[in-house]
Amino acid sequence: MLDGPGYQLEHGISLTYLLAGRRARPLQDLLHGVWLGHPLHPALVTVPVGAWTAASVLDGLAATGRGGPGAGSAARVTVGVGVAGAVASAATGLTDWQHAHDGARRVGLVHAGLNSTALGLYSWSLLDRGRRGRAGRARLTAAAGLALTLASSWLGGALSYRHGLGTDHADRSPEPRRFTPVLQASDLVDGQPVGVDVDGVPVVLVAGDGEVRAVGGRCPHQGAPLGEGWLHRGELVCPWHGSRFDLGTGEPTQGPSTAPLPCFETRLREGRVEVRRRGNWRSPTATTTVEEASR
Amino acid sequence: MKADQVLIAHHDVLRGLLRQLAETTEDQTAQRGRLRDELLRELEVHTQIEDELFYPAVRDVSPLLSLAHAEHRQIDDQLATVMRTPLDDPDFGTEVGMLSATLHHHTFEEEERMFPQSHALGEERLEELGRQLQERQRELTRSGAMRLIVRLKRMTLRHV
Repeated sequence: MLDGPGYQLEHGISLTYLLAGRRARPLQDLLHGVWLGHPLHPALVTVPVGAWTAASVLDGLAATGRGGPGAGSAARVTVGVGVAGAVASAATGLTDWQHAHDGARRVGLVHAGLNSTALGLYSWSLLDRGRRGRAGRARLTAAAGLALTLASSWLGGALSYRHGLGTDHADRSPEPRRFTPVLQASDLVDGQPVGVDVDGVPVVLVAGDGEVRAVGGRCPHQGAPLGEGWLHRGELVCPWHGSRFDLGTGEPTQGPSTAPLPCFETRLREGRVEVRRRGNWRSPTATTTVEEASR
Repeated sequence: MKADQVLIAHHDVLRGLLRQLAETTEDQTAQRGRLRDELLRELEVHTQIEDELFYPAVRDVSPLLSLAHAEHRQIDDQLATVMRTPLDDPDFGTEVGMLSATLHHHTFEEEERMFPQSHALGEERLEELGRQLQERQRELTRSGAMRLIVRLKRMTLRHV
């Protein structure tokens, strides 16, 4: 039932970005949080949630006559900061949401609907705060807005912690720790990514310029099989949502992915390509695998 | 013709246009422009018949609808990049190559995975769906509204 409006909204977002032309990509990467290394949305929503919570405290003090002379105008400023933060949060949220699938897409649509209603209520509250004799109504709409915001935040939590939207879907196994042969070097064609499975760890190999480079085979964004991806200007492109990755560092050069791919060292031995996991703090590995722990 | 056969035939048209476009050189701007506009029109028709008729019909037998939508989106975005790139630009070929890879992945996903899943609908339903797809495709190809949309899109994308 929610898929129809969902796709219509996505077409609207898509059209908006098409009209932004060349600026669309850098803008979307900014809003996804590619520069930050994490999704920007959950960080930014602390501004409206925090500001509106503070405003509710100030409203409560003013309503009971304990706020002193400055409480009213302080509440007005915090509501305003929250409204500005909510608009920015909506832009980041919609930009992330446009690539959500199935259940996450539907939950995200309800989350967006509730938040937009809360934003509407707070905007109304902000207008009322500039008018005489509207203080009571302004506090009431703010209280209703806060209730909706909290309910909607719960859905936001479900999107992250249940649906895994914005979390890292790359395989972070520490394996293989020793150089492990994966295929014959003669099986690789320059510039054509090949997906292989190294004892359960997905890896993509790319030959070119006389070397073989290897990165993780699952996209951190939503787990797409990168072995089905392709190269564009020397970068690996995700077949699902078009994230692009630097093959040397694993870092995303274009979103929606905000996390880097795991990297592997490679070497040639007797005509075979061997790979070994390369760890660094940006691309951490678990120290113990499930298999080791249960041995 | 069954639904998947109709769509594969149209995939062949799209792949053919892209192959021709990839074979052009920087000094063949007129030919590039003609092929690019034709590709824009055919892609618009293709997306619309799949979105309107095929995807709703296979909703219950294929889990790949979200992926198909995501891939359409990626094709759309890359097509916009190709529309923005001047026909005599050295980068034109690279961007067409990227569009070609994106389209090939989408047609692979449908032909190798989604279409076999769609066979669960049964011969009769697929034949009926095929007729509807062909009819809508003919209608859209001739439609004045569609021509207007394509022309507007072409003009807008070139200027942003």
